[in-house]
Amino acid sequence: METIAFKGVSFTYPGCERKALDNITLSMGDSDFIVLCGKSGCGKSTFLRQMKKNLIPYGRFEGEVTYKGTDVSELDKRTCASRIGFVQQNPDNQIVTDKVWHELAFGLESLGFANEVIRQRVAEMASFFGIQNWFRKDISELSGGQKQLLNLASVMVMQPEVLILDEPTAQLDPLAASEFLRAVKRVNLELGTLIIISEHRLEEAFPLADKVILMDSAKVVMYDETEKVAAFLANKDNPHDMYYGLPSIMRIYSELLKQDRDAFADKNACPLTIREGRLMMEEYMGSKQASDEETDSIEGGGIGRMKQDIRLKSEAVENTRGDLVIEMEDVWFRYSREGMDVLRGENLYIRRGEWFALMGGNGAGKSTTLKAICGNIKPYKGRIKVDGKDIRKASVKELFDHRLGMLPQNPQAVFTEINCEDELFEAFAGSKVKDEVQTEKVNEMLELLQLSHLRKSNPYDLSGGEQQRLALGKILLLEPTILLLDEPTKGLDPFFKRTLADIFKKLKENGTTILMVSHDIEFCAEYADRCALFFDGTAISTSTSKRFFAGNNFYTTAANRVVRKWFPQAVTCEEVVDLCAGLST
Amino acid sequence: MIGLKELSTFGSFHPSVNFTYFVIVVAISMSTMNPWFLAGSFISAFAYTIILSGKSAIKFNIMFIIPIVLISALLNMLFMHDGVTELFYMYENAVTIEALIYGIMMGLMLSGVLMWLLCYQVIMTSDKFIYLFGRILPTIALTISMIFRYIPLIRKRFKEITEGQRCMGRDLKEGSFVDRVHQSVKEVSILIAWSLESSIETSDSMEARGYGIQGRTSFHLFHFSMRDLKMMILIVLLGGLIIAGNIADRTTIYYYPYIRYPLQDIYSYIVYGLYYILLILPIITDIGGEVRWRQLRLKA
Repeated sequence: METIAFKGVSFTYPGCERKALDNITLSMGDSDFIVLCGKSGCGKSTFLRQMKKNLIPYGRFEGEVTYKGTDVSELDKRTCASRIGFVQQNPDNQIVTDKVWHELAFGLESLGFANEVIRQRVAEMASFFGIQNWFRKDISELSGGQKQLLNLASVMVMQPEVLILDEPTAQLDPLAASEFLRAVKRVNLELGTLIIISEHRLEEAFPLADKVILMDSAKVVMYDETEKVAAFLANKDNPHDMYYGLPSIMRIYSELLKQDRDAFADKNACPLTIREGRLMMEEYMGSKQASDEETDSIEGGGIGRMKQDIRLKSEAVENTRGDLVIEMEDVWFRYSREGMDVLRGENLYIRRGEWFALMGGNGAGKSTTLKAICGNIKPYKGRIKVDGKDIRKASVKELFDHRLGMLPQNPQAVFTEINCEDELFEAFAGSKVKDEVQTEKVNEMLELLQLSHLRKSNPYDLSGGEQQRLALGKILLLEPTILLLDEPTKGLDPFFKRTLADIFKKLKENGTTILMVSHDIEFCAEYADRCALFFDGTAISTSTSKRFFAGNNFYTTAANRVVRKWFPQAVTCEEVVDLCAGLST
Repeated sequence: MIGLKELSTFGSFHPSVNFTYFVIVVAISMSTMNPWFLAGSFISAFAYTIILSGKSAIKFNIMFIIPIVLISALLNMLFMHDGVTELFYMYENAVTIEALIYGIMMGLMLSGVLMWLLCYQVIMTSDKFIYLFGRILPTIALTISMIFRYIPLIRKRFKEITEGQRCMGRDLKEGSFVDRVHQSVKEVSILIAWSLESSIETSDSMEARGYGIQGRTSFHLFHFSMRDLKMMILIVLLGGLIIAGNIADRTTIYYYPYIRYPLQDIYSYIVYGLYYILLILPIITDIGGEVRWRQLRLKA
């Protein structure tokens, strides 16, 4: 049954030549879980907003969007508010009131329900989402993940038939994000709500989806069942930009299939979960081992050589003992006198020119570590040195002038100007750099961050990922030699993540040290030189990335979890594929 | 058993009960200069602040409340020269016992009311206040709730801005005066832009959840039970009798020229007694609640 239908929908923003939506026709229904994916700025938000009356953007509109046969723009306020739910990206901005219980009731208050009805419905939803334990809390005490869950619940109390979510996990760390997505899936499974969600984290979203809409430059390229879209993304000769966002298991599968057309008996069963991935590898290795026995070359040939290569590469990194740029020795910190210690005798040594990733659970104190290094918080015990200088004795100028650079968690914290170009020029405020040089550098930076087409846009009109990039550009123009990054991949599409990694690699080649705090296991595994796990107030098990992930059982990449039985050293997709290629030669 | 804060049993009564109680107690202690009343109000408020806020209240009371009484007594004694019982002369002005006592009573009244207001602040949390006044003015109630939401949010944002700017080498605490003014203006303007932009999303979210549809209701978590009714009747009854006694001049006192009660009789003492019962109602309720809690725990 169709719930929402698009018929020949095109849309152009005022003052723009290019269409934001181009002739889209599709219908959604059947309580599906539909994932909308595509690069940043391809029109995903515009598409989603067409379905919610009060969020439809101004501009030239053609075609028809209907909810159960009625044009969306003609729905009465009550139906629109209660039947079509919308969750946006930023967890903070959507919350209206100061208490959790009041926020939950907000929508029902608007609809004019009596106290008893609201009480019952709120109680029901609070229990469904596990909110009852923080039901009476102040909003300001909640974590980002809890806030977003509250936003979801306060839409769900109105019992909508359609739930639209616009990159709801972009501002969340990966753990909170997967918890959120699981809650959305539960809504879909247990309440039968039609879900339409735009999401970059395909790794998490694909296994949940019934159908996928793939968008590219204002057009819907494909709208079909998940496996088919995955196969489409993977099987093209030059892979689609979104290919890099696919779960590693799917990528391994499709690469293996490319190498050897007959690797798998069933060609249409693309694995989605770790378990299915294992079964796939089981089958694959089974066939390989059989053929290998005949040629008798396991250790001498392919696999042995590859193993050795990887080991040598990682040890090379470990053995270059450069000088230290950041030294933390026995650092203790707590936020309030009565509170718990967040840093408990932390020791951390970062070498010049390396890319270091600090990983670990939520609220463990990873961000606090960065703040301590910048001197934004003062540890009560211990010593921190940057470039050999004790930070307590250094002035702000000494610390941040061509030395430390830090990207704040919310990019808005550095925006001062009305367009992106000026925003970047502002980085030079008070410096003596010549105008021509400034212009050149700004242009270079816009190019590098792929923001040139947005140079005249207001920073606040950019999407979350674009804002993140702009803020990064501003910090990079200050030319720091030590870059501190707090979740730099948050809200970025998988394609841009690769670009970002290239930017960081280039910076590293020029001698910049990068200290990154992140939950993004796949990203760290692929690019960081060394990783450490932050646990119980200190950084433990510091090691090269390869060793770090190969040594972990759960806290490791999906690729490693799939193949660790055969290749315990392989951490990234590429390595797995290379190793498998080694087998077949 | 001190420092109950929001665990107070009295605080668990319906907001209208709490509110009525504080209005009556404060009104009575502000409308009379009777020492029986003022001393009772002072002592019970002193005790109740400690029960509610614990050690911090003891500190506050010693640092601020007792000095208020002393200063008030001293000032009145020095500047008020009515009264017939002279203690001594200062610059040819009589310093009288009546003025001293009146000053102490003024101090007791001021500090007593102040302490009741402190208790009020602990008991009447923002959601109770919003609930009480939201029924009269729904939009105001929502606005207050939104303000309570925004204050911590804006504080957090400003901190992030300052830290972000500091990490760009622009510190509020360093540089010339002009630089620093310039920098603070910049930080405030970032905050304003950020807040305005985010409020657009907030209003989208409000409208998306039907804000603006006619006939909005106001949800609350409170329930007026039998226990609330009994307490309410008790408070209103006591308050009514005491005020009646006051109006009938049973508790009136004159300090000048000399201290005298125009009409003190057995009824006066009954009124005092009733007032004391009213004053210790919250204390008894809270202690009773604690005792019951401990007994239950011992049994279990």
